[in-house]
Amino acid sequence: MQLLMNGLIAGSLAALIAGGLALVYGVLGVFNLALGQMVLVGGYATWWFHVPLGLPLSASIVLGLLMGAALSWASFELFVNPFYKHHRFLPLVTTIALSMILDAAILLLWSERPRSIPTTGGGMISIVGMQATFTQLTLIMCTLLLLCGFACLFHSTPFGRKLRAVVQNPLAAMSLGVPAPLLHRIVFIMSGVFAAAGGIFLGIDQTLSTTIAFPLTIKAYAAIIAGGKGNIWGAVLCAYLIAILEQLLVGVHWFGTFYVSAGYQSTVALLFIIVFLLWKPQGLFATSQRLA
Amino acid sequence: MKRLALLPSLAMLALAACQPSGTTIKIGLIGPLTGDAAAIGADMLSGTRLAIDRINAAGGINGKQLELIAEDGKCSGADAANAAQKLVNVDKVVAIIGGLCSGETLAAAPIAEAGKVPMISPGSSSPDVSKAGDFVFRDYPSDAGKTKAMAKYFADNKLAKVALMSENTDYAQALKVSLKKDLPAGSVVFDENVEPGTKDFRSLLTRMKSAQFDVFVPNANSDAVDAVMVQQFRQQGFTQRITGADTMDSAVVVQVAGDAAEGVTLINVPTAGEGTKFETDVKAKYGEPKSSISWVAYAFDAMNVFAQAFKAAGTDGPAVRDYLYGMQPYTGIVGTFHFDKAGDPVGISYVSKKFTGGKIITVGNITLP
Amino acid sequence: MQFFWHIVAMICMSIPNILGFNLIFGKGKIFHFGPIGVSTVATYGVFVPLMHGFSYPSAIAIGFVLTMIISLLFAWLALRLEPDAFGVMAIAIHLSLLAVVINWISLTRGTRGLPDIPRFFFLQTTQSFALFTFIIALLWILFLFVLHRGSFGRSLDALAEQLWYAGSLGIDRRWVTVIAFLIGGLGALITNVIYCQYVFLVHPSDLNFPVFIFFVMVVVAGKPGSVPGVLCSLILLTLLREGMRFLPIPSEFIGSLRLLLFGLILFVAVWVRRDTLFPKARSV
Repeated sequence: MQLLMNGLIAGSLAALIAGGLALVYGVLGVFNLALGQMVLVGGYATWWFHVPLGLPLSASIVLGLLMGAALSWASFELFVNPFYKHHRFLPLVTTIALSMILDAAILLLWSERPRSIPTTGGGMISIVGMQATFTQLTLIMCTLLLLCGFACLFHSTPFGRKLRAVVQNPLAAMSLGVPAPLLHRIVFIMSGVFAAAGGIFLGIDQTLSTTIAFPLTIKAYAAIIAGGKGNIWGAVLCAYLIAILEQLLVGVHWFGTFYVSAGYQSTVALLFIIVFLLWKPQGLFATSQRLA
Repeated sequence: MKRLALLPSLAMLALAACQPSGTTIKIGLIGPLTGDAAAIGADMLSGTRLAIDRINAAGGINGKQLELIAEDGKCSGADAANAAQKLVNVDKVVAIIGGLCSGETLAAAPIAEAGKVPMISPGSSSPDVSKAGDFVFRDYPSDAGKTKAMAKYFADNKLAKVALMSENTDYAQALKVSLKKDLPAGSVVFDENVEPGTKDFRSLLTRMKSAQFDVFVPNANSDAVDAVMVQQFRQQGFTQRITGADTMDSAVVVQVAGDAAEGVTLINVPTAGEGTKFETDVKAKYGEPKSSISWVAYAFDAMNVFAQAFKAAGTDGPAVRDYLYGMQPYTGIVGTFHFDKAGDPVGISYVSKKFTGGKIITVGNITLP
Repeated sequence: MQFFWHIVAMICMSIPNILGFNLIFGKGKIFHFGPIGVSTVATYGVFVPLMHGFSYPSAIAIGFVLTMIISLLFAWLALRLEPDAFGVMAIAIHLSLLAVVINWISLTRGTRGLPDIPRFFFLQTTQSFALFTFIIALLWILFLFVLHRGSFGRSLDALAEQLWYAGSLGIDRRWVTVIAFLIGGLGALITNVIYCQYVFLVHPSDLNFPVFIFFVMVVVAGKPGSVPGVLCSLILLTLLREGMRFLPIPSEFIGSLRLLLFGLILFVAVWVRRDTLFPKARSV
């Protein structure tokens, strides 16, 4: 049971990041390999507002999210927008460049020191044999709330309808008067906000350090590939699934005989990618594209 | 694009050709200034800098000023080899501080040996470094002594069963191998490696619940990861003792882990400068150590050992090497030591320390047989 | 002078691997994001047997077989998957291989690496390395030049440009892809056998993801698919990387500045080549 709880904590983090990414992939069809760095910038910015500048936590979080939005907007204009219409694989290389630049920026601005965002409310809570701190529960709740809010936006507002139209067929949507380029921009910025939220989560629950960026990106990709490219709910679900499997892999006494070495924990996400691409390239929850 | 790239590189080569020489004594440094271990590399750099600034302020070596040339080894063999080639053959340094990661030291050693440049590593703990060559020294205790002290501490405190969680880096792995050798057979009941960069150890700790152990040894490459291990260990409701090694010896553990750090013990050299004037000086000059004050201290001592050797034996490589092998015990920040035939430090003693009320307090000496 | 030989040796010894990668990624436009995965297998395939008592020829034979197997695996995946899916898959396989290397401590000594790699008897000094790698590189360049110019190169070009039309003209896609990957694997083997002897060390940190980024940069900046272009950018980027050490920049910034500069170079290179980097179907 404790393993489930652990999976839930880790999965909420992954789901936050993967959710935004899946949307980007679904709408724009581009990969963003600088995602992990965007997560870190959100987290580091929040830490910076909260600790050295001494702003209250809530204000810092809002500012951190704004930073994430600003950064992803700038990234979109500079690194994605000029390229993805030429060829949708070009951003794959430009975002590698972006990730290097952001890495350097993080090192120059905030140095290598691992940071964590201090919070109050570290008391342990026990629910049916599962232990978690109050902070962790709050984080899980916030994640679910954010994702649900997004679901409402996506499924029951005019804006969401336009978004879904662009996902299905951008050209047709444009001819019906939906401003697809504007929506592309909004979607990319939204994914940046989700990433920044993930960074804040990471900073509160664990610690931020530059080494963690690339593993985060890979895990998010595992989730969106397994979830069916571009399917947000598939990605979110698979993010939780991967996290729980990771915890089970090292936490369970397999067949009562052996344990898997914890060093292999991160390969769960990689195996997910490998298995799904081979066995079901469309992913678990893929929807077929609408044709005439 | 190509033409653009050509210009700066040509300019650099031209710059390199006309660097002044002869008026200063050049010291090289190889350490991970970028990459996963960059925090430790930064500390190593500030320790070396501090030593050089003090030596220069006091008049230098026989009237000559010291000049530091720091190179990025990125914790990788290839980059350390590039760095060492440049230091030895282009800059003609007389000594090298580094490398930090064992991979760096091992790759740089043959190049330093060929150029007859002595090296002192302030952080490589792997036993392989002992065999790396005639010109390679280290003031960082090889794991053998430290783990013997840990084993003795466990025996003295009747902590028979040990649970280990090691980060998968060369430092932590070397420590683990050495510790397992020094503990009685069968006493390590839980032994797992975690990926570097992982900050989530909860499931592993859940699995640990089924193991019967008396003491938990978090063995990470940096204090921040140590702290996260301690924090999550307590969050999972464990009450066993926690004993760490030198990376645990850091105020960061309290900052990150909070109350969970209370009562954590650790085995380390008596002082790596914590709570001394050395620490306040470092903080005044370079701010908080990026990883831990001990990395600053080892690099500081290594530089001062070289300075002493230059004063006594000049800057000729083989002469410095011979001086280091025959050096009288040297008292630095981390303790009093000299080098044995393999270039490893001898004479560094160990104490046990404990986190009490958010402070690290020395509780006792560990005398090795 | 010694440093000059060192740079020559470093450049020449990376030529087989990078040009092999250029054949696949640059010329064939196949999203092979796992060349370092192949290098990992090549390196450990040779040096693990060697450190367990095999002789050099037999160790290299074992390494060769393993490298060819992993190259075939990549080729099979490249044929089977969508281009972008293969890219992500190749990254995943590379990282999984690295995880195995790091965690299978009894065999590979994990993160502590394999020290004390013996050198060939004729490769004892830096000069001999520079000379030897120069000859190897020359032969390899010649080989690839002929290959690029010949019917194989044309087939690869045609496949990269229009898969179906090329197929209908009788070009066997499977065969061409497999050959390209095998040549890439051979290049990885040559490079790593020489490189590890040169530094006396096999270390997993020489095989991680940032190494691959440098590969991509060299190929993209040098004009994908062109042997002289990639050679040129390899030499210039290596000189730039090592040359930055000579700049009077405080050492605590130099690492981040190098990252920044290389990121910008990569960006500019893509910007310049945004129309030619990935093929667009020709139209009238």
